[in-house]
Amino acid sequence: MPITNETLESELNNIENSQERDHIRKLWDHADILMQEISVNLIQGNNTAVDELTKQALDNGFDANTILDEGLIAGMAIVGIKFRDNLIFVPEVLVAARAMKAGMVYIEPILSASGIEPIGKVIMGTVKGDLHDIGKNLCIMMLRGAGFTVIDLGVDTSSEEFIEAVEEHNAEILGMSALLTTTMPNMGKTITSFEDIEMRDLVKIMVGGAPLSQEFADEMGADGFGKDAISCVDLAKQFVANEN
Amino acid sequence: MNSSLSPKERVMNALTGLPVDRTPAVNPTNIATVELMDFVDAPFPQACQDPELAARLSATGHTELGFDSISPYFSIIQESSALGCEMQWEEKDNWPTVRMANPIWNSSSDIKIPKNFLSHRDVRAITDSIKILKQEFGNSVAIIGKTMGPWTLAYHVFGVENFLLGTIDNPEETNKCLEKLKEISVLFGEAQIDAGADALTFPDHATGDLVSGMYYKRFLQEIHEEMVDALPVPLILHICGQTIDRMQYISETGMSAFHFDSKNDPFESMSAVNGKIKLVGNINNPETLYAKDPISVKQEVFKCLDAGVQMIGPECAVPLSTKIQNLMAIPEAIIEWTQKNNNY
Repeated sequence: MPITNETLESELNNIENSQERDHIRKLWDHADILMQEISVNLIQGNNTAVDELTKQALDNGFDANTILDEGLIAGMAIVGIKFRDNLIFVPEVLVAARAMKAGMVYIEPILSASGIEPIGKVIMGTVKGDLHDIGKNLCIMMLRGAGFTVIDLGVDTSSEEFIEAVEEHNAEILGMSALLTTTMPNMGKTITSFEDIEMRDLVKIMVGGAPLSQEFADEMGADGFGKDAISCVDLAKQFVANEN
Repeated sequence: MNSSLSPKERVMNALTGLPVDRTPAVNPTNIATVELMDFVDAPFPQACQDPELAARLSATGHTELGFDSISPYFSIIQESSALGCEMQWEEKDNWPTVRMANPIWNSSSDIKIPKNFLSHRDVRAITDSIKILKQEFGNSVAIIGKTMGPWTLAYHVFGVENFLLGTIDNPEETNKCLEKLKEISVLFGEAQIDAGADALTFPDHATGDLVSGMYYKRFLQEIHEEMVDALPVPLILHICGQTIDRMQYISETGMSAFHFDSKNDPFESMSAVNGKIKLVGNINNPETLYAKDPISVKQEVFKCLDAGVQMIGPECAVPLSTKIQNLMAIPEAIIEWTQKNNNY
């Protein structure tokens, strides 16, 4: 079904890169009008509307995966691009994330009960001495939406806590976040701790946070740098694909 | 050219647009490190709570590193601690922080300045340290205080996520919050001026990593203009991250200087402010000062000087394990560049 929602069409037309625009457009190739409405309301941060529309979609017989992929995640894909291109900023992303959560309240229990295997397991946390978590939480939401199981260690996470969590959950991926230039070095210290106990090869480590760069990530010995939540999901998928 | 300026004269002249003998090395934010804490036996967190230790540690920025200014407010949490925020004081190798996940207030009507605010230990740590520094260095080195702007205070008292969501859900309420919180900025700023501060850093983290340039204009520009009248010393606005898109608005506030981040190219930044505000910065912290060597630091200093940046310093508070040789390279590079170019 072509896109019939004018707002959604206009949002798509705002994507400058035509290849990217075509790729995103395909997410709605077979999407019902209701899914398009969910996406638009998510992009606009209307959490009440997303709540009601998700409920309605389930009542109408749409399965949870369809609503997740063609409504919620498709909408978040546009939010992610707008954020990456500096068309919107964190407050706008936060209201979109809140809207996504409103839909996920209904979707998550259904998916959990369905017994579908997650595509990978990720440990996430903000490093020692840093109490900022907005970016990390956005990444977690997107990772869960993409089918990963995520164990959130919260903020102010020590190297020991990261190591314990990777061991305990047998996770393939570790994601570390930092907002402060003063706490960024703790990422490198954590990577060194994994090396010291010969666990570095057991886990792929990705890092992110506003002051970070690819150069800094490379110097620390991270396996990847995600500049935003979308890159974080792409990285995690890439790690899992390479492993398989 | 005036060839015999004191460090204080150099800084104050640069802030007010008067001639200088060379570009000053200035630290609107912290340059204390663990090495310096050990050197003068003034470790974190005690140096953030005790005026004598704060004065002793901050003085090393001038006596050991060769900067032209001394700044005894190392972190961004002193007011928030006095307001009653839950604190994580950490140890000497880490920054004290506010536990923003446990905010103390929900709305503008909750905002109340405690009666004992100015006599709180963590406020006195700054005001009394300025008095000590003023006695010792008052005529020779610029003493730079710091008072947090309302945007930063809002992150601390409401929590970052709650506050930013509020800017969309109820922007009028956001304005009310900022109006009330700015009273704290003024109160603490005035107290530091009374104690002897020559200038004040005014951090207000409406960074491009979080909000748009239009947000700055809509919510903060007017308040920052008011601060210029309310606090009668040169003000140095500090905002981390990408700020090119708001530099024009910042340059119209009347503040003396803008402390800018290395995410903004110095040449582009000079062009963006178009001579309407002085720039101070923007030596990169994580990749250069923390991880590289003095030669790399000097190259960044030279680039800033070539661009015409009026005061040179780290982009923001430096990681506490930064090597002091890298910090010393900043004033050294300025002197080398000045000798080579001899253009003052």
